[in-house]
Amino acid sequence: MLGWASPIYMEQQLNNTVTHLFRNEYGRIIALLTSKYGVSHIEKIEDAVQDTFLKAMRIWGYQKIPDNPTAWLYKVANNGLLDKLRRAKKMSYTADENSHFEATTEASEFYSNTEITDSQLKLIFACCHPSLSKEHQLVLSLKLIGGFSNKELSDALLKKKETVAKSFTRAKKKFKEEVQLLQIPVQMGLQSRLFVVLQVIYLLFSEGYAATSGEQILKRDICYEALRLALLLKKNPYCQHPNLNALIALICFHASRFDARINDAGELVTLEFQDRRLYNKELMAIGSAHLEQAGSADTLPSKYHLEAAVSYHHCTAPTFKETDWATILKLYQLQVQTQYSPMAALNSIIPYAKVHGPKKGLEALEAWKNKNDYKQVALFYTIRAELLAELKKEFKPDIRKAIALTENVLVRRYLKKKLE
Amino acid sequence: MSNFLYLFRGGEESFEKLSQEEKQAHMQVWGTWMGKLQEKGQLLDGFPLEADGKVVHSKGDMVTNGPYAEGAELVGGYLIVSAKDMDGAIEISKGCPIFDYEGSTIEVREILTMDNPY
Repeated sequence: MLGWASPIYMEQQLNNTVTHLFRNEYGRIIALLTSKYGVSHIEKIEDAVQDTFLKAMRIWGYQKIPDNPTAWLYKVANNGLLDKLRRAKKMSYTADENSHFEATTEASEFYSNTEITDSQLKLIFACCHPSLSKEHQLVLSLKLIGGFSNKELSDALLKKKETVAKSFTRAKKKFKEEVQLLQIPVQMGLQSRLFVVLQVIYLLFSEGYAATSGEQILKRDICYEALRLALLLKKNPYCQHPNLNALIALICFHASRFDARINDAGELVTLEFQDRRLYNKELMAIGSAHLEQAGSADTLPSKYHLEAAVSYHHCTAPTFKETDWATILKLYQLQVQTQYSPMAALNSIIPYAKVHGPKKGLEALEAWKNKNDYKQVALFYTIRAELLAELKKEFKPDIRKAIALTENVLVRRYLKKKLE
Repeated sequence: MSNFLYLFRGGEESFEKLSQEEKQAHMQVWGTWMGKLQEKGQLLDGFPLEADGKVVHSKGDMVTNGPYAEGAELVGGYLIVSAKDMDGAIEISKGCPIFDYEGSTIEVREILTMDNPY
């Protein structure tokens, strides 16, 4: 066990804080500066904010991170941007106007939470402008608002790192050319973009919930950021949609299990062994309330509906054994039928094996394998190993393959234990 | 015990090459190392320095941009540590994460005082 003063603990603390700040403040400052100076300066804004974080990190290598670094970060980024703009001689306004800018910033925008969050939403909606391709919309949003690294982005979009890096460059160019103003369209225009915005939030949450790399199983900051953005949308009268309620429900149900997923030793705990008393009842209640509001009689349930419903059943089952696997299987099968994806098919195997037994489960898994390429999918090998183990067959080669395909340190540690 | 000044030079180029994540990760390493020095009471002060600066000549008759030194010669930051003697100060400096950046050096100078100011 780590003590409070051990270097490893401090290391994690620092890392958490730097990462935390990066997550929380990056998108916020980008959004503020973009709504202030315009989309046409997006590259300079990005540079300025990145420079600021670099500077901050250099200082934080030497010193403790101050209690409230936000003000410092914002000011340095703003000044850095003004310098860059001045140097580029692209400033159409005079120095007087500059000082006016700074004054209003500090007085109102910066200290008013609603303004800040609004500019973030404004930026997401601008990123989801219909003149941009869907991929560009997602790449821009996740990079600029979520502060995603190329690695995280490539995991979220299932694309190569180099591909997403190029895509981001192109997306920014398009963004500058096609999107002039950060205006939230009203009514109809807003609804048409809403679906992409929901997907952005969903991807944000997914990366946070199942961190693909690093030493954390959860990036809570990203998860809460996703929830915060979803709840903000909920306040906008034009954003009301059953899918939004379903998404909020989904996030809440997943989030309610945060504390149970990691034990005191910092190890991953799977659903079967989680202490269900640790589930957050408050979040479960918020989730249930939103799921009830998410009813849509005229349309098929969205993937958010189905995933929220699955998560609801997991949260509310008194024990792992008493889980309503039959219903969960139905929900997965519905998802496979209506919104087919190789991963949905793979996930459906788990409840299928619970209902029909590991032997049938293994057969179904092999059947899916013939239709999809799961060679690079760790989950495939993990599930197969699980089923083989239940059948008392050799499962270790599959675990080894899963380990080789897993980048998250905690998941790898969890899998290695199974080899012992 | 005496106090020693560490002047960090170089390594900027290889630092710039790192990704955002790697930079963040490396700040952990710095934090850990500094934390250890602090625990032992060896760390007295220290800051990174901005790369741009001015050089003031002859009572301000001339102020130039600078110092226009090659990257390897620019002072990127400083620390003040407490050590038994020069050998002790060198020993402490050996573990410094600055050496993770290629081409970086630490100049160790004893600070002269009549009494210990810290």
